[in-house]
Amino acid sequence: MFTLIVNLIKTSMNKYFKISTLLVLVLAAILLIISFDEVINPKPWVDNEDYLFPRFIASGIAILGVLLFFEQSEAEKSTNYKDLLPGLSLIIVYILTMKFIGFYLASMILFFAGVMIYRKPEESTNFWRVCIVRLSIAALFTLTLYGLFTEMLHVHPPRGMFF
Amino acid sequence: MEFLDYFANVFTAYHLALLVGGTFVGIILGALPGLSPTMSVALLIPFTFHMEPESGLILLGAMYTATVAGGAISAILVNVPGAPANIATAMDGHKMAKQGKSKEALHYCFISSFVGGMFGVIILIFFTPPLAELSLKFGTTELFWIAILGITIIATIDSNSVVKGLLSGLFGLMLATIGDNPVLGVERFVFTEHLTGGVNIVVGLIGLFAMPQVLNLMENYYNEKNTALKPTGSSTLMNSFTYVFGRVKALSIGSVIGAVIGIIPGAGGQIAGLVSYDQAKKVSENRANYGKGEPEGIVAAESANNSMVGPSLIPLLTLSIPGSPTAAVLLGGLLIHGIFPGHEIFETNKEVIWTFIDSLILAQVFMLIIGLFLSKHSAWIMRVPDNFMAVGIMVLAVFGTYSIGNSYSDVLIMVCLGTIMFFASKAGFSAVPVVLGIILGPIAENNFLLGKLIGGAKFDGNWILYFTTGTINITLIVICIISIAYGVYSNRKSNKN
Repeated sequence: MFTLIVNLIKTSMNKYFKISTLLVLVLAAILLIISFDEVINPKPWVDNEDYLFPRFIASGIAILGVLLFFEQSEAEKSTNYKDLLPGLSLIIVYILTMKFIGFYLASMILFFAGVMIYRKPEESTNFWRVCIVRLSIAALFTLTLYGLFTEMLHVHPPRGMFF
Repeated sequence: MEFLDYFANVFTAYHLALLVGGTFVGIILGALPGLSPTMSVALLIPFTFHMEPESGLILLGAMYTATVAGGAISAILVNVPGAPANIATAMDGHKMAKQGKSKEALHYCFISSFVGGMFGVIILIFFTPPLAELSLKFGTTELFWIAILGITIIATIDSNSVVKGLLSGLFGLMLATIGDNPVLGVERFVFTEHLTGGVNIVVGLIGLFAMPQVLNLMENYYNEKNTALKPTGSSTLMNSFTYVFGRVKALSIGSVIGAVIGIIPGAGGQIAGLVSYDQAKKVSENRANYGKGEPEGIVAAESANNSMVGPSLIPLLTLSIPGSPTAAVLLGGLLIHGIFPGHEIFETNKEVIWTFIDSLILAQVFMLIIGLFLSKHSAWIMRVPDNFMAVGIMVLAVFGTYSIGNSYSDVLIMVCLGTIMFFASKAGFSAVPVVLGIILGPIAENNFLLGKLIGGAKFDGNWILYFTTGTINITLIVICIISIAYGVYSNRKSNKN
């Protein structure tokens, strides 16, 4: 009997288990804990209604999360990390350095680095020529943005230590 | 004939320039396979923030019209629809291009887009005011149910799985509760200082639509892609006009079905194009030739997806429920200009709204002229390499996000949301219900709390009764249930197949 139950759980785990479902259930648990905190440990100075609406949403997510576990659906699409990760890391570095070196300089670097990292073999016949052409395009793109937005529309993106 | 009173507002040099510019850029953006209309409009919204409301909306409307039509160019020349709305166009359009008739195919598509688009705008002009009157009867509980209905319908139509669609919608509602709440006067779910301001609608739009596209372009950069065919063919413009206007059956099927699907909340150009293609095929004498390069197929599909544009704004302007995913993004554009949809829209913002609607008529004309002109030179449009496109969109997305509130936190939220959405979409979750949750969340919560207060007093503490009585409330609840039931049913059906 016991082995039967274990086997049943095992097969259903293989059939139903998906990382996305697990993440949804974890999210639901966190939201439930936060939104029902006032109900379990009432604090007289906190209005019970503040979290009323989030409580409904959290319960909804929890119920649907359980349904998601039992839902048979097509397999998740695989991710091509090899090509994705260089770009994603570049974007993260861009966002984090933007605050220090300024939006325009960071954007120019992102633009140039992006088109140099993502380069098809047939494009790199003459490396230095490609390099200079793309650097000029990056500079031109950034200058156009600067002229259009900062000079004409007076929108000021984050400034860094340079300009 | 109130709409004629404001026509003159469109004919200023500035507005005409915006229309021409928006249409030109829109057709090119629509034609680039990596960029959808929804993303293009989302990316544009922060830049309209600094304009007058009318001018901003005119630009967004022109962009919406042009991107939907422009998607046909890549559908015909590359066999990759520029947007989901052009899937049906690719079926016959690319076959025609292979037969050396791409010039005709492009002509047909812009001419029928023009006919469908005009029909759609006329429907918009005559149906919006009466529906706005109807929304006068809506009180707090009705508005609460309308918000819930908007999310439910989008969640069930836009997603392959009802459970995932509803989860996406709830996730959006959750995001809307983050931050300082002006009604309750509390901060909720503020784990870091960056979340104090909550998730701004436009930040959400850019994060959910633009950022995943950037990551997609990077991920698939080295995949094999079809090359674009050059526009070829001998047909003159006059012949193309005569041909399209001779296809009365396909044109009227496309326009009417497109308009009806536009009004249905959530269903966008993709469904409009496919359904009318299918219907036109059923009644056509050339039915056997469909899918092998039948020009009628293009006429039906393209008139439908552009006819959807105008009517998709009807539920948006009157009930704040978007009729298509791109209309959901336009709602963000209305809200940042302080224009709240509903019956008041024709009182408080009469001039802005009528000028916007009138500009859509002109947008169709410009779409036709510029589209026919660009179709001659369309092969070079397709040459923008994906790597340049990805970094360009990224920079614009960051710039747009920052410019809304001069806040670095917004940029962080945008990038985080976008990355989460990219991975969530791999698991089958869709961005549109999330956006609707963010937009309709505050409407739902505020009306819920207000309704609870009023209902508590009216029904002696039993406030639930206040939400579940009254004809409009019951109708809305029933539609909600039907839409979920229908979604479950069609999921089951498609799983069996």
